[in-house]
Amino acid sequence: MPEIPPQDDPVVSRPMSVLILVSVFLLLLTVAWSLYGEFFGLRPWRDYQAHFRDLYSSYLRKQISQRRTQEQAFYASADYKKLKAAVDAAGAAALPEDRKIQAQIDVLDRQRAAMTGTFQIARGQVGALTYQLEQIPESDKSGRASKLKELNEAKAVTYTVDWPNSDGSVAPRTFNYDLLNSTFTSLMAQKAALVAQRGVVDKPAKDAQAAVDTYVKENLPGLGSADLAGLQNSVQSMDPKLRQINVNPPGTQINYVGGVGLVDRCQSCHVATDPLVVPVVMTLTKADLGVPKSHDAPFTSHPDQDMLKFHPIEKFGCSPCHGGNGRALDTVEKAHGRYEHWLWPLYYPENADAGCQQCHASDIITEHAPALNDAKQAYREKGCIGCHKFQGFDNQDELLVGARQQILQLESDRKADQLDIPRLNKQGDTAPNNETANAFYQQANNLTVTVSSMDAQVEQLDQRTHSLLQETKKVGPDLKEVRMKIHKEWIPYWLQHTHEFRPTTKMPQFRLQPDEVQAIAAFIWQSGLPGPPLEKQPAGDAAHGKALLESRGCLGCHSVGEGPNMMGGNFSANLSRVGEKDNYDYLVRWVHNPRERTRPYSPFEKRDLGPEDYAKHNVPFVFDLDHSRSPDDGHELIVQQPTVMPNLRLSIQDARDVASYLITLKHSDAQYAPADFMDDPKLVAQGKKLVQFYGCAGCHEIATLEDEGRIGTELTNEGSKPIERLDFALYTEDAKRGVLPDGKKSPRGSWYDLKGFFENKLANPAVYDNGKYKPDPLDRLRMPKPNINSKELDGLVTMLLGSTDPSLPPDYMYKPSDQRASVQKGWWIVTKYNCMGCHQIDVGQSSVLMGLPMYQGQEKQNLPPRLTQEGARVDPDWLKRFLANPALSATDTNRDGVRSYLEVRMPTFYFSDDELRSLVLFFEAMSHQAEPFIPQKLEPLTTAETVMARNLFTSTAAPCLKCHATGEAAHDKNAIAPNFLLAKERLRPAWTERWITNPQLIDPGTAMPSGLFRREDDHWVFSGPLPVSFQGYMGDHANLLVRYMLQMTPEEQRNLLSHAPPATAAAQK
Amino acid sequence: MKGKSLIFAGASVALAIVMISCGNKQSTETPAANAPAANSAGKPVDPSTAGTVTGTIKLDGAAPKMKVINMAAEPSCNKQHTEPAMTEDVVTGPGGTLQNVIVYLKGDFSQYSFPPAAAPTTIDQKGCQYHPHVLALMTGAPLQVTNSDPTTHNIHPVPKNNREWNESQPPGATPINQSFAREEIAVPVKCNVHPWMKAYIGVLATPYFEVTGKDGSFTIKNVPPGTYTVSAWHELYGSSEQPVTIGPSESKSVNMTFKANAPAD
Repeated sequence: MPEIPPQDDPVVSRPMSVLILVSVFLLLLTVAWSLYGEFFGLRPWRDYQAHFRDLYSSYLRKQISQRRTQEQAFYASADYKKLKAAVDAAGAAALPEDRKIQAQIDVLDRQRAAMTGTFQIARGQVGALTYQLEQIPESDKSGRASKLKELNEAKAVTYTVDWPNSDGSVAPRTFNYDLLNSTFTSLMAQKAALVAQRGVVDKPAKDAQAAVDTYVKENLPGLGSADLAGLQNSVQSMDPKLRQINVNPPGTQINYVGGVGLVDRCQSCHVATDPLVVPVVMTLTKADLGVPKSHDAPFTSHPDQDMLKFHPIEKFGCSPCHGGNGRALDTVEKAHGRYEHWLWPLYYPENADAGCQQCHASDIITEHAPALNDAKQAYREKGCIGCHKFQGFDNQDELLVGARQQILQLESDRKADQLDIPRLNKQGDTAPNNETANAFYQQANNLTVTVSSMDAQVEQLDQRTHSLLQETKKVGPDLKEVRMKIHKEWIPYWLQHTHEFRPTTKMPQFRLQPDEVQAIAAFIWQSGLPGPPLEKQPAGDAAHGKALLESRGCLGCHSVGEGPNMMGGNFSANLSRVGEKDNYDYLVRWVHNPRERTRPYSPFEKRDLGPEDYAKHNVPFVFDLDHSRSPDDGHELIVQQPTVMPNLRLSIQDARDVASYLITLKHSDAQYAPADFMDDPKLVAQGKKLVQFYGCAGCHEIATLEDEGRIGTELTNEGSKPIERLDFALYTEDAKRGVLPDGKKSPRGSWYDLKGFFENKLANPAVYDNGKYKPDPLDRLRMPKPNINSKELDGLVTMLLGSTDPSLPPDYMYKPSDQRASVQKGWWIVTKYNCMGCHQIDVGQSSVLMGLPMYQGQEKQNLPPRLTQEGARVDPDWLKRFLANPALSATDTNRDGVRSYLEVRMPTFYFSDDELRSLVLFFEAMSHQAEPFIPQKLEPLTTAETVMARNLFTSTAAPCLKCHATGEAAHDKNAIAPNFLLAKERLRPAWTERWITNPQLIDPGTAMPSGLFRREDDHWVFSGPLPVSFQGYMGDHANLLVRYMLQMTPEEQRNLLSHAPPATAAAQK
Repeated sequence: MKGKSLIFAGASVALAIVMISCGNKQSTETPAANAPAANSAGKPVDPSTAGTVTGTIKLDGAAPKMKVINMAAEPSCNKQHTEPAMTEDVVTGPGGTLQNVIVYLKGDFSQYSFPPAAAPTTIDQKGCQYHPHVLALMTGAPLQVTNSDPTTHNIHPVPKNNREWNESQPPGATPINQSFAREEIAVPVKCNVHPWMKAYIGVLATPYFEVTGKDGSFTIKNVPPGTYTVSAWHELYGSSEQPVTIGPSESKSVNMTFKANAPAD
């Protein structure tokens, strides 16, 4: 047997101690590391929370002591003590009576308790027997009789109850069923009466207590010292912990992370945004905590608590609005998502509104997002829209195409249906029986009705098309009329020195080579309409023209003067150098009616029609909004200039005066080089190619290029573009290193992100061509330099950053279906036509005119009306009529229909029917008026009331007619308020009553004085001495006057005038 | 850890105290024109060392002719005037003394407190004119508006820096009581019903003001020693200023002249 060689003892021969030692050290190291990480390294939020806790609780302690002092002073105040004493006195006064009643109630309760058991047994038996009796059929007379007997016996049974008396004694008392029943009912009734009685007795005490409560609430608002102490207590014992918001609506994906929903841990550092830590009624700023503004501590509460009311944190989290990586906690950089692997970095403060855009992309106005609103306005006004499509925000062309397609579809359906009708009728004629025949006839009838309703639909779509064509405006002027309007030599200069010539112009600066300028100018010039020659206009009175320009409201949109002397709005062109470029005769026509067009354009035939086309059909060459169909094919024509400028309804003489003034506005040394090349036909082809390349037709109407599409990138989802698809060109590395194109260091480090790309592109659209060799101009970046300031640039970048693919479920998108939709639709129109240049429409918004020197101080009364309550003020039918024709007259148009006494005048905008509808609905929605409108019925005036109202109107105490116009020229010369005759159709009674009782509430600073009526009991009483006829009148005086005004007839007004002194107002200015 | 945050908290509290005290200093240095009614703690002026500023305001050149107000529209007022009522833009006395000029002192009065007068300053509407045409009062001081006419007026101050109001006052109505919270020179007042009616109310943060009478003179008393600017404001000719230094119990005279042919803004 071979001997087994002795084996080494594995323990002894292979010592593991070194390995184990190393492992132990490693383990210790990792434990230490993790402990370090837990307490120091990876948890910056622990420090923040601990720091916050200390600061916040010392802040709260201060608040508590302040509050205590305040409360002590309050509770020691005479007013409070008086109220409190009143409570005690009332309570004491009521106490004896209250006790007496309570004692009576107690006796009743004892009595009821004593009888309840017995009564329930008796009622049960009687009830059962009654049921059995009802079950016995009517025919079983004997059965019924015996059961009835049984029932009567049961009712006659007597019960004895130990009856507690009111004096406390208890005595047996006998009852039969009926007595039990009536006694019970009576007990209940007595108790109810006593409770009611006690309510009356205790009322003074309760009222006094309510008065104290109200007083405390009004004078000690906010959290009390006890609440604050509780809060402080919980804050002090607050352990640093991870604070997390989970949002995971079932069945939807929220944020970018997919099916797991949204997890935002932002509040772990931004502790004060947690309403459990800082209640929503409080705000906390760094100053409150004594932290300097520059400190990075994220300790402020959310700055817009108001907005959180409708964007609750538990539903929206933080990162969907702000960006950033809500889950990350390791470092600030990671949590804010500002590293290369996170695609949605936190928005910088100047772009904070970008977060709103995701859900509010189709809004025209978003509350709480002023930067975004301004950006959207700039996007339209500065003409970005001319080249870059933006869905949901600007879709008129799509609507037009959609309407046309719908018409085609309906017409084809209609045709098919119409073919079916005779077929069905025929089938009916030859049917085997009447039933089948009638069924066929019925089907045929149904189809005729369907066809006719399609006709109605098509008719509506035709009108919609008409409206859409009327609504389509261009950012820049119509270049078809360039030969009639512009000095030829000025055009090439303008193309090269756009921002130099007019520093506030909307037109961007193109980067053109001299030969490009020549070709473009030559094409534009030669594509212009050659004639017919304009009517020769005599010169006007420039001084009067200047006065008109400054008073009629032109400055709500246009500005005059240069540099620091510039005055007026920047919605439209600065007029200070118009004299260097425009022809006088054309200017007169333009000022007289800017919508006047030389030739109508047929979108169907794609050409302008002339007299010769009309002559072919033997119709006069007349085209306007009422004659807008082509004589060739009946299709809708474009009959107006595509400008938003309204018609001011000036007389032709006034138009000449204004134009004469405008023509004087020029630099005395202005000189332009001759430009004979513009008539060179050889340049046209090249010019047209360039005009198409640069997308000029996006903003201008240009002959043969009416249907050119937008040449730029669609920007609807630009904020979702992967960074790799943005061409930083030679700046890619610089951007990553944080070096700006001008060589300076970027203050925020790397700008290799969307924000960096957009900012540099907008500041210099050619920047990404730098350093490249592109000999052919057509290879270069073609986006021109927009004329925007840094605020507008930030705004546009904000808008682009926010324009992302939605990361939130569809029901988070803001798509209101109620009146708020009307507000959005209307806001598009009021901003399109710049209504805010003259009017205040939204509370807090100022108009351009309000800021002009000629409307300061006492001159405020010459401003156009404030429209913040327009929907509540006027009848919507009237409003529609007024908006369509602000002169409120077909013939007498050189005036304002309502405020003829104002120099400034509501012009005619030629709104389309759709725009009129939307505007009326907009004003209704802004004032929360129910739609459709049903007029309030007015109580007719009795003869006596008419006399009273007339007496009051003509008394010296009521100054109504001194300011309000009456239609009599001599009187109205001095009027400063509208004619009462307009009130009937125009005003709503409820508003009128609110207005005359306190106009300062509706329109602070109005010339209409307050205090004309005083409140007496529950009605208004005229403040001044009353005519004798009012003796014994108990009615509401304000209501009486409103009814009188709103039922005023011309005859009654004449009647009034014969009694009244003439108007005085504005006799002197 | 704890220690670190304690130190930090201590530092920030200290910083807060410093900031608060700085803030206080700043607010006292704010020019009175922008400060609301300053009734804050301060000492009263010592009458034993207080001085006086007197003077006369004159108009250099011929005063423009005032126009006749056509009150035909308001017969009840028209018949109150035996002679035609005139506009009051420029009213002068013998020797070109200028009436209706608000003269006031500008300077640093921050260490004093000036309780506004308890008695109201009155403006009356009589014969469809304001009496007086120009008045001045302190911030927070009561203003009483009365109507002595048999017709309804409305009182409509159109301030730049104060709250605007517009109240009607029928004949025989109780007086309207109002006040102005902020300094403003001067608040125009008008009646929308009778547009020729105009008045100006100067609102000042200190009691150092006077409106000149027919003789163009003014006397500003109880002025603590110091260097000030005497400012004169006229509705048509605008403002004019002159420095003045008042020693203890000193009386100084400051005369000023507006040029008739060159109205300021």
